[in-house]
Amino acid sequence: MSAWGFVSLAYGIVWGSILVYLILLKRRYASTAADLDALRSTEATSSDAKK
Amino acid sequence: MAQVAIKKRKGILGALAFVAVAIGLFWSLVIAPPDAYQGDVQRIMYLHLPSILTAYLSYFLVFIGSGMYLWKREKRDDLLAHSAAEIGVLFTALTIIEGSIWGRPTWGVWWTWDARLTLTAILLLIYVGYLMLRSLIEDENRAASAAAVLGIIGFLDIPLIHMSVYWWRTLHQPPSILRPDKAPWENVHPAMLTALAISFVGFLLLYFYLLSMRYRLGEMREEIRARRLDRGA
Repeated sequence: MSAWGFVSLAYGIVWGSILVYLILLKRRYASTAADLDALRSTEATSSDAKK
Repeated sequence: MAQVAIKKRKGILGALAFVAVAIGLFWSLVIAPPDAYQGDVQRIMYLHLPSILTAYLSYFLVFIGSGMYLWKREKRDDLLAHSAAEIGVLFTALTIIEGSIWGRPTWGVWWTWDARLTLTAILLLIYVGYLMLRSLIEDENRAASAAAVLGIIGFLDIPLIHMSVYWWRTLHQPPSILRPDKAPWENVHPAMLTALAISFVGFLLLYFYLLSMRYRLGEMREEIRARRLDRGA
């Protein structure tokens, strides 16, 4: 492999991995935020019903 | 209102990280000259050094967060330590991979049981263990306490990694930047030093962007857990 081949491999793996981590983190974040919103709205509905 | 401000700040941090990373890439791959001995392979160092320094910063935050948690027992300190450990593991694994790719054309091997390499691999294993420990212990408070102890002990590996090239005969060369006897600009070409500095700033901004998102994720999970407990009670 040429010098630029090793450089491309290193840069590709690093930025690819960081991108994958960022995407997975954003997905986890979005799904947790949705769960929290659902929980908040359920609580608001049930407290309105009690009133 | 506060949520909107936090989102805006996070957006600005993300945009700044993206710009710094893009400039860093351009400087590292286009502007910086090839090394006189190593040639273009040396460009891997513009990733290698910022990643390990970012990992060290992460473990320093684990150390601080763990110490504070054991002292004050506040959930936010544990949350900081947990978030920083997860991202630290990512950057340590990347450091080892970059080093391995650089080592093959430079040393002729992908891996060698050199003191610095071995201690860095141990550092990675300690913090992978830290994350596993948290998921293995069911009681959240016990898991946080046990992980905090490991987080503090694990940090002690970092001075060993730094000093390993002085204490033992290693294949890994002594530091070029963090040398006690010479300033970085006396030892490294200005264009190379600039590439390294911009790359490091990019990694730092990206790190704080990831950390803020991971920390907020932990906060939301904690809120969900507390609300579910309240409803159960």
